[in-house]
Amino acid sequence: MNKTTIVLIVLIAVVVGTFIASFTGASTSVGFEEAFDNPGKEFKVSGTLDQTKPVIYDPQVNTQLTTFHLIDHDGVVQEVKLKKSKPTGLEQSEELHLYGQVENGAFYANEMLMKCPSKYDENNHLLETAEASNR
Amino acid sequence: MEIVYNGEWYWAATLGRILIASGFMAALLALFGYIKGSLGEGNESWKSFARKAYWVHIISFLGVIVLIYVLLFNYRYEFQYVWKYLNNEMPTSLKFASFWGGQEGGFLLWMFWHLVLSILILRKRGKWEGPVMTFMSAIQASLACMLLGIYFGDYQFGLDPFLLLRESPDYIGLPWTRNADYLTSLPLFSNGQGLNPLLQNYWMVIHPPTLFLGFASTSVPFAFALAGLWKKQYIEWMRPATPWAFFGIMILGTGILMGGAWAYEALSFGGFWAWDPVENSSLVPWILLVGGAHLLMVNRTKVTSVFSALFLIVGSHLLIVYSTFLTKSGILGDTSVHSFVDSGILPQLLMYLLVFAGIATLMMIKSTKERWLLSGMFAVLFIVGLVGQAVIPVIIYLLLLGILLIKAYRKDIPRPKVEEELWSREFWIFIGSMVLLAAAIHISFQTSINVYNKLLEPFEGLFTSLHESTNWEFAKTLADHSFAPNTDYKESYHVVQVPLAFLFIMLIGFTQFLKYKKTNVKQFLKKIARSFAAAAVLFLIVLMWASFTPSDFPVAALVFACIFAVTANFDYLVSIAKGKWDKSGASIAHIGFALVIFGAVISTSQSDIISQNQIGNIQELNEDLNNREDILLMQNDTLPMGEYFISYTNRFIDGIHYKFEVQYFENIPKAYKKDQVVYYGGMVFEAKEDHVAGRNFIEEMAENWRRIDFPNQRHAKEAVRWVNGTPGDSLFTLAPRIQLNEQMGNAPEPDTRHFLGQDVYTHLKWARLKEPETDEDGYLEGRSHDVHVGDSMLVSNILVTFDDIEAVADSEKTANNLLPNDIALKVNMTLNEKGREKQISPLWIVRDSLIVPDLYEIEDWGLKTLVNRFDPMSQTINLTMWEHKSIRRDFIVMQAVVFPQINILWIGCLIMVLGTGLAVRHRIHLARKSANKDN
Repeated sequence: MNKTTIVLIVLIAVVVGTFIASFTGASTSVGFEEAFDNPGKEFKVSGTLDQTKPVIYDPQVNTQLTTFHLIDHDGVVQEVKLKKSKPTGLEQSEELHLYGQVENGAFYANEMLMKCPSKYDENNHLLETAEASNR
Repeated sequence: MEIVYNGEWYWAATLGRILIASGFMAALLALFGYIKGSLGEGNESWKSFARKAYWVHIISFLGVIVLIYVLLFNYRYEFQYVWKYLNNEMPTSLKFASFWGGQEGGFLLWMFWHLVLSILILRKRGKWEGPVMTFMSAIQASLACMLLGIYFGDYQFGLDPFLLLRESPDYIGLPWTRNADYLTSLPLFSNGQGLNPLLQNYWMVIHPPTLFLGFASTSVPFAFALAGLWKKQYIEWMRPATPWAFFGIMILGTGILMGGAWAYEALSFGGFWAWDPVENSSLVPWILLVGGAHLLMVNRTKVTSVFSALFLIVGSHLLIVYSTFLTKSGILGDTSVHSFVDSGILPQLLMYLLVFAGIATLMMIKSTKERWLLSGMFAVLFIVGLVGQAVIPVIIYLLLLGILLIKAYRKDIPRPKVEEELWSREFWIFIGSMVLLAAAIHISFQTSINVYNKLLEPFEGLFTSLHESTNWEFAKTLADHSFAPNTDYKESYHVVQVPLAFLFIMLIGFTQFLKYKKTNVKQFLKKIARSFAAAAVLFLIVLMWASFTPSDFPVAALVFACIFAVTANFDYLVSIAKGKWDKSGASIAHIGFALVIFGAVISTSQSDIISQNQIGNIQELNEDLNNREDILLMQNDTLPMGEYFISYTNRFIDGIHYKFEVQYFENIPKAYKKDQVVYYGGMVFEAKEDHVAGRNFIEEMAENWRRIDFPNQRHAKEAVRWVNGTPGDSLFTLAPRIQLNEQMGNAPEPDTRHFLGQDVYTHLKWARLKEPETDEDGYLEGRSHDVHVGDSMLVSNILVTFDDIEAVADSEKTANNLLPNDIALKVNMTLNEKGREKQISPLWIVRDSLIVPDLYEIEDWGLKTLVNRFDPMSQTINLTMWEHKSIRRDFIVMQAVVFPQINILWIGCLIMVLGTGLAVRHRIHLARKSANKDN
């Protein structure tokens, strides 16, 4: 077997390995129900902020804890403890993606990504209000 | 009836659309002309026709660009693009930048650089002009059609940069669009929205043009590669393409690093690289281009790895398109911080990508008959994809391309007749490019997780039934097609990238010492031995300074590799290139690259979050709610942080920023005497020996302190809070800030103090921007506390100590307005503020087994309190404290990180650019020489 072939085989092995790793290493997106059925396992839970309940961030007690409620895609509402300071724009977010696990009966998020309203929608909104005032 | 709109520059919209259409048509004509002109031996008259058409294309699009600038500089807010990305307040430099604020401008900028580069090709008029320009025209035509903005029914083909706001699909038909004076009567048209304030800084002026020039410069080697395949001159295209490839490495690399610098300086990502999908998607093409360019060099003289060179060069450009697809299509939506929202050009970008991938693969097939046959198959797949379900044809198509590539590799592309020597430069460069390929594939896999989800969509049913029949867990996961990227960089990126980088950088170190064809191994080993020894010594010095744990072994190995690459290339520079510029480019670029990685690895692996929290009861917090990242700063308190004392002194509004000034003082280490008593984290300690305090109590606890489990009177009296030093002279002030951004929400921006050896990087995590809410008496929201006898709490500046509890004697009940049968407890507390003291005794009253709330107001102190509960078992009370707004103290939550040796990274960048520039110059020289020989 020639050297180039060996190199290519090694390369393919690495690629297949990382492919598998990236699939198994990736956390899966679930609803709260599944996360609460498997405490301690990391999941991604997506949903929207429950605007009817308060967002609590009290840095004088803990700078690294933000508590709020999330409505997941199945409509289940759960309290979430985010192990971070309160991210800017949380209240304006359209969608939240939490990465975390259930510990002691509560969902602890280690990481959170927010999807904020696009500029585009806001423009429309701006113009519509202008429109309304014009009539 | 046609409405005549007053003051509207409709002519500009018409002119702009005509220019785009004519530019698009001219690119198509140039494409046709160049194909005709390049077939067989070439046809001069077709070529001359194509050249003219291409010039029409150039002039049209330059016209488009000039016209948009005219609109921008005249504040023509009736145009959607101008309105969205410009406002009256933006300075001139940013007015230039508003051109590329949106996707339309991004495409135009990209096309602009293609125009500049193709003018250089046109001027040469060599034998490659025809075939290369064929593909350049094809690329330009494809990009131009993204700007057509034509509707086919509901489907929008391209984004029209000259769209008027009143024509935009969102407003069309609204009453104001029929108002002839809408421009003057609607206040909205007197000012635009302007660039997102996050983008309003000088990086926005220099980063996108650089990056897009980098993108554009991958197109030229790509066009050369396809041209070489088309003309079946598998080697000859490489020499003229090499300088372009190295130019691309230089510019794209600069663009990527500028993005990193931008993130580091102006955005609160907490570093310069976050493995963000958008960052990755320009890094991957760069990695492939580096591999490809090196293989071009190797193939110059003899056939060694033609297929790999082609694959990497073609892949590099296609991945640029893929990255555009990822960022502009919105498919990343929820995984990236800076991706666009889906704008509806996803199918167009996808078509571009698939068509060019198809053309590149077809070109690799030698037989013309097979090419036609395959083109037919592709066409069928495209029609099926367009008419019916899209995903399955795409998957079949991609599989087909894969099979064709394997066939091309085995049958069609020339392969070396004899195998390379093990100890030859070309073999190890080949290995290096394969390592790069592996790294690129890994990053792409990680970045593209959302793409697999899309590709898996149609197989939901299949995998569900597979799961049901076999009970195979993974099948269910596939059926759910909701994979999400891992958030831990260490697990998802570093675990693979660090070892690959180690291999690659070791190769950078020794490959130059190998000769082409065959090397004497003994001599080679002797040559690299001294670099190796020098690197080992330097590495030991680094080890003494840095702290690596055993799990950091791969990182430490990478650091060694970087040092070795620097010493080896330096040796090469001195002893072999002997300082001749022509031969030095590669070594200088390699040193630069190794320094970039060295700086990146050292500054991140040794970075130190120095903003540990000092306030708050540490014992109460459970381990997981780590309290170790951010510091809470009460205004005017002076707290130790890292090697400084800091004090948050002032806040003020400066333009669009709310700045919070934090002053840094020297920290004079505190000396402790033997037997001195301190408390830390609620525990009491006694000094073992005389010593000077270290930075962190936990680190030096075992060495210097003895814990006292049962403190006696002396301990209690003498104990002082442990501090590591006392504040000295004021050193500097940093003002981390919050950008007041109505569009996107307020955003924190860092402030960094640069030193030669390290940076102190600080950003706000929380700050109050509005006045806090109070009740009608001016009290803030109350806070609840659970306290034992002896506990203290800090309310604003007042230290409140819970001394004891006593029952209210029957004789005192009347005086306290109590009924004889009430059970009442007096909660004795001491208030203390800067020497001022007061005893208070709020009551806890139970009447007929009901608790009677008894609010206790301490007016001249600005406090009120209410005892809510008493638990006799644990002797704990729960009380609420309200503070009056007059005594409230402002505070901020801040994070501070020390990045050591980050300057090495930036110096490395400059060196790398310089070295690559020299290499480009050298390659241009070589290409010219060989061209002269040919003629």
